[in-house]
Amino acid sequence: MNEDRIQTFTEEIGELKLRGARADREHWLLVLGVVGLVSGVGMAIFGGFQASGSAILGDQIAFLATGTLIGLALVIAGTALFVRYSLARFMRFWLVRLVHEHRSETDRLISALKDIESKLQQ
Amino acid sequence: MSTPILELRNIRASYGSIEVLHGVNLTVGRGEVVALLGPNGAGKSTLIKVASGILRPSAGQLVIAGRDATGASANALARAGLCTIPEGRGIFPNLTVRENLLMATYSGHKLSDIEQSTYARFPRLAERRSQLAGTMSGGEQQMLSLARALATDPVILLLDELSMGLAPLIVSELYQQVAAIAAEGVSVLVVEQFARTVLGVADQAVLLAHGKVQAFGKASEIGEDVLASAYLGS
Repeated sequence: MNEDRIQTFTEEIGELKLRGARADREHWLLVLGVVGLVSGVGMAIFGGFQASGSAILGDQIAFLATGTLIGLALVIAGTALFVRYSLARFMRFWLVRLVHEHRSETDRLISALKDIESKLQQ
Repeated sequence: MSTPILELRNIRASYGSIEVLHGVNLTVGRGEVVALLGPNGAGKSTLIKVASGILRPSAGQLVIAGRDATGASANALARAGLCTIPEGRGIFPNLTVRENLLMATYSGHKLSDIEQSTYARFPRLAERRSQLAGTMSGGEQQMLSLARALATDPVILLLDELSMGLAPLIVSELYQQVAAIAAEGVSVLVVEQFARTVLGVADQAVLLAHGKVQAFGKASEIGEDVLASAYLGS
């Protein structure tokens, strides 16, 4: 590989735009899901109460549209986010547990084999 | 001594709240083949993801050609010349060999030039040029993924589990190609679960276990006892 290619590569790496430190995106999306879910339920209930407390049809529609419908949309979006990231977290812990169990099994097997080996040598 | 082409300094990486790499240091020199060894779940593939920019480290630095590239996007690094061949080859199974090579022309090289260099390096692919890639043998698919990577004129090549699912003879043949690629000046970081297959062509070896470097040194100096203790956990 010639020096020109290395030089070009080095220059291109130097010109790259770097993103700043990343916050824990997954954690924040999970929190966002919970906030969406709770606030959505609150908005839906608030919209429903306001609509039922008004005798004017126009006000009822406005309360239902801005409170209940948007609230329900938030509930659906929040639930989707919460389920998506909770499942991801659960599956990851499950995988870690499998790996841990596999390692413990291997350690036990090695230990048993060593015991057998030492007894055979006696 | 020239500046290393790839350096990982005290890299920590995690998936959500689970940390997988706990402060890993690794250096790849120019034209060097570095073997990254370790048992299942050691963090090898995660390290490749960090080195290629797919996964951002939670701490530490990714230094490429002496420049801090931590946080650079994977596609920008690939465009510059850091090429990754992922586990499972990453070819397009429903496209022919020629069409797969056509996909590499994004790098600005002509298809005819790519075909010429590919078929010179892997004559078997010339015989298969009109065959669907998914219907070829595992070894031929791996040859195709190597050929497509080389078509982009990489400076650094990251290989993840080259030998996966392949016969020992084919693996040996592929590693000879890797050695030839390194001899041309391309730096190679190769992840391999089966240590013996790669130590023959590697200059340096890094042994990773439980997300930490357990041993680092010349490939010839990594002893059987060190490998056994890392793989068996004793």
